[in-house]
Amino acid sequence: MSQEQQKTEKRKDLLLVDSARCIGCYSCEVACKLEHNLPAGPRMFKVIQMGPVKNGDNLLMNFMAVTCLHCDRPACVSACPTGAMKKREDGIVFSDPELCIGCQTCAVACPFGVPQLNPATGKIAKCDGCMDRVEQDLWPACVLKCPTGALSFGTSARVVQDVRGQEAMRIARSLKVDR
Amino acid sequence: MLTHEPLRRFSGTIKNHDRAVRTVCQECTVGCGLLAYVKDERIVDIQGDEAHPISRGRLCAKGMAFVQGVTHPDRITLPATRSGLKGPFEAVDNWEKGLDLLAERLRKTKDRHGPESLVVGCDPEAGLDFFLGALRFAKLWGTPHVYHPLGEPKDHLPPVDLIDPWAPCTVWSHSQCIFLMEADLATTHPVAFGWVLDAQQRGARVFALDTRFTTTLSKADMAVVIRPESGNLLGLVLMKTLIEEGFCTQESVKNRFLEPDAWLTSFNEMSLDNVEQKIGLAAENIISMVRFLARNQSLTLVTGKRLAFFPDHGIWSTMARAMGWADNTGGGWYPLESGWPRLNTTGDIKSADDEGPSAKKTGLAPYQFTTDWANDSSEMKPKALICTGNCLNDFFSPFQPRVNEMDLITYFGSYPNLTRKLAHMVFPAAVWAERDGLSFTNDRTIQWGDRIVWPSDACRSGLGLWIRLAQRFGWEEYFPWKKENGLADHSAFYNWILERSPETSGCQVDQLQDTSKLVHWPVQDKEAPKKITPMHAPSSIPTTSVSDEADRFPLQFQATRVISRTNDVVHWWPWTRELITENAVQIHPEIAKALGIENGETILVTGAAGMMEGRAWISRMVPEWMVWSSRKMDEKRVVVHKRDQTSEEAFDILKAFLP
Repeated sequence: MSQEQQKTEKRKDLLLVDSARCIGCYSCEVACKLEHNLPAGPRMFKVIQMGPVKNGDNLLMNFMAVTCLHCDRPACVSACPTGAMKKREDGIVFSDPELCIGCQTCAVACPFGVPQLNPATGKIAKCDGCMDRVEQDLWPACVLKCPTGALSFGTSARVVQDVRGQEAMRIARSLKVDR
Repeated sequence: MLTHEPLRRFSGTIKNHDRAVRTVCQECTVGCGLLAYVKDERIVDIQGDEAHPISRGRLCAKGMAFVQGVTHPDRITLPATRSGLKGPFEAVDNWEKGLDLLAERLRKTKDRHGPESLVVGCDPEAGLDFFLGALRFAKLWGTPHVYHPLGEPKDHLPPVDLIDPWAPCTVWSHSQCIFLMEADLATTHPVAFGWVLDAQQRGARVFALDTRFTTTLSKADMAVVIRPESGNLLGLVLMKTLIEEGFCTQESVKNRFLEPDAWLTSFNEMSLDNVEQKIGLAAENIISMVRFLARNQSLTLVTGKRLAFFPDHGIWSTMARAMGWADNTGGGWYPLESGWPRLNTTGDIKSADDEGPSAKKTGLAPYQFTTDWANDSSEMKPKALICTGNCLNDFFSPFQPRVNEMDLITYFGSYPNLTRKLAHMVFPAAVWAERDGLSFTNDRTIQWGDRIVWPSDACRSGLGLWIRLAQRFGWEEYFPWKKENGLADHSAFYNWILERSPETSGCQVDQLQDTSKLVHWPVQDKEAPKKITPMHAPSSIPTTSVSDEADRFPLQFQATRVISRTNDVVHWWPWTRELITENAVQIHPEIAKALGIENGETILVTGAAGMMEGRAWISRMVPEWMVWSSRKMDEKRVVVHKRDQTSEEAFDILKAFLP
């Protein structure tokens, strides 16, 4: 990639889900509903409880917070007959309500079942990466409100740096370097 | 010292708004800071207050979904009345007319059945001002019967100096171990649980015990499931084992306890017969737990509210003291739902019974009410009920079969719930976002929450109700907190209470505006006594009596609340309501298999007195011997069965299956 290309390339943020900290409280789901003024029904963010399953004498239970993966080659975008579903330069895949006809072809095309119909508007409801917030340099609503810090957001460099830092601290503490 | 700076958070709203209100969420007792954005008197966005020391900008589902309840189209907006319990309600033009009617009907009931026929149920939904106002009104009226789930049981808290120093959640990250005893923080107080995970990330170990495998247990380093109602007994056994294993010696407690020898002797003499079976743990498990606990110098002990309703609850504060956990930063005892200081609400009112309404004739707490208690042999003969929230379907449910015997049931609430269906009179209540209010939190903070929006139509606050009702009986001087426009002056009311209560005097509402600096009670430092009288081991532990019921109903039933469901009000919050299968009944996969029950199938839960229909949620969250539901049922032992199966058939199958 030439230097010129690097300059014009849009900043790409990523959303990191740390399942170890997810407690299945649905805060992200409700934050998303509030932000996007959604009715009951479509869930653009979904928390799924897994388990408990038996693991020897112990039980294991986990929660998965799942939302749109904003694929590199999104099937929904290729399938959309009106061009409402688009991928932006910064990676966000979103549905333009002005063009969406609610045909749900995207919902069929998506291998993860992400796009859902909003019964209140008759159009597709789907995670838009809180692009209006991100453009104003604000975190997405789900990330900000997560009560346990299971969700984090930022450029890949920053998020990875944070994970590394936390891991280093954990090791340092277990070795009692700081005590 | 190594440090790690967390990612900088970028917070704010993009919603078009006229004003922003900084306030405190009153959905639970964590006390999170909120920033509410309002446009044309409607809430358009809720963000966490980044500067708030407890919540740090984070929020849970409840702290946002309440917005839907404020503007719900079904909200009650006008006072209404009817003569019987069957007919339709007739709207009353205004509050004044409605209150005239209420006063007249109350007076009649008092003349006929005496003052103690009045019983007031204070659901947290109605606010602290309703409860405190009710205590004052009831004392003037002459009834001791005012109930609030958080105010009960009356003696659940030891004196303040016994729980000092306690560990607010903001210091848990200094703790080496967090011991969660029947406290499912991850479900009930998610924002506080964020602090547990922070502590865990910093190397603290999390030890959680509960009666089923809750979300909290799933995050713990050591998770143990015990039998229902055996929590405090386990506390006694842990204490005895800590002493026996040499982790708690005469040397270590002599500076903390008065008469340490007698205390140690009481534990040495305590018998452990049958306790293994009662708690559901083997002796070697208890020893490994004790070794796990004793390794830590600073330990935070979080106990759930349920424990406070059973004998020997005092063991937890005694244990925290004896082990010296409270001596180190980050350590101490943290009883949930116990953040209220002692409030002097009625001291100025003279009455024949000068012990005040707190001296209950019935020593019962709302969650101990049973149908037996509400029957005719009870000393309590209620004829007039004032209900809030959905208390007739909750802690007042034992009154449900008796509603036809009541002269008057008044409902002060916001939503058309079951309690409204059973009422003669209805008064529309403001929700917490529509009233100024004080809140006490688990961290023992005193916080002030400004009203976010004005109440819709004719909705009033609890204090407003009592002020106007008291007027009709000539008790204005006892309710002087009125603004010039006739509305209740909440800050004057709370200032008055704070000033005259021992742990809060010196604090005024004005001081609470800056929520980035929290005020904790006791406001004025008191020198804690060096030595206290600890709780001794009881001379005998009641033996497990295997009742006839246990013979017929082999499974234990337990009901607890679930996430995003603070109380009944969630019925008017579509966002969180859809997340909960309300009638789900959890049963263990082995039990389901034995009975041939499929996941999601309609099943019946039968006990000695009642039956409940629900949908099977087959999960290992419950042990084999337990059935769990979020719905309350007045049974301790039950059997589950399919619709085409009788309870006897199911019992025969389970008998072969369960030990």
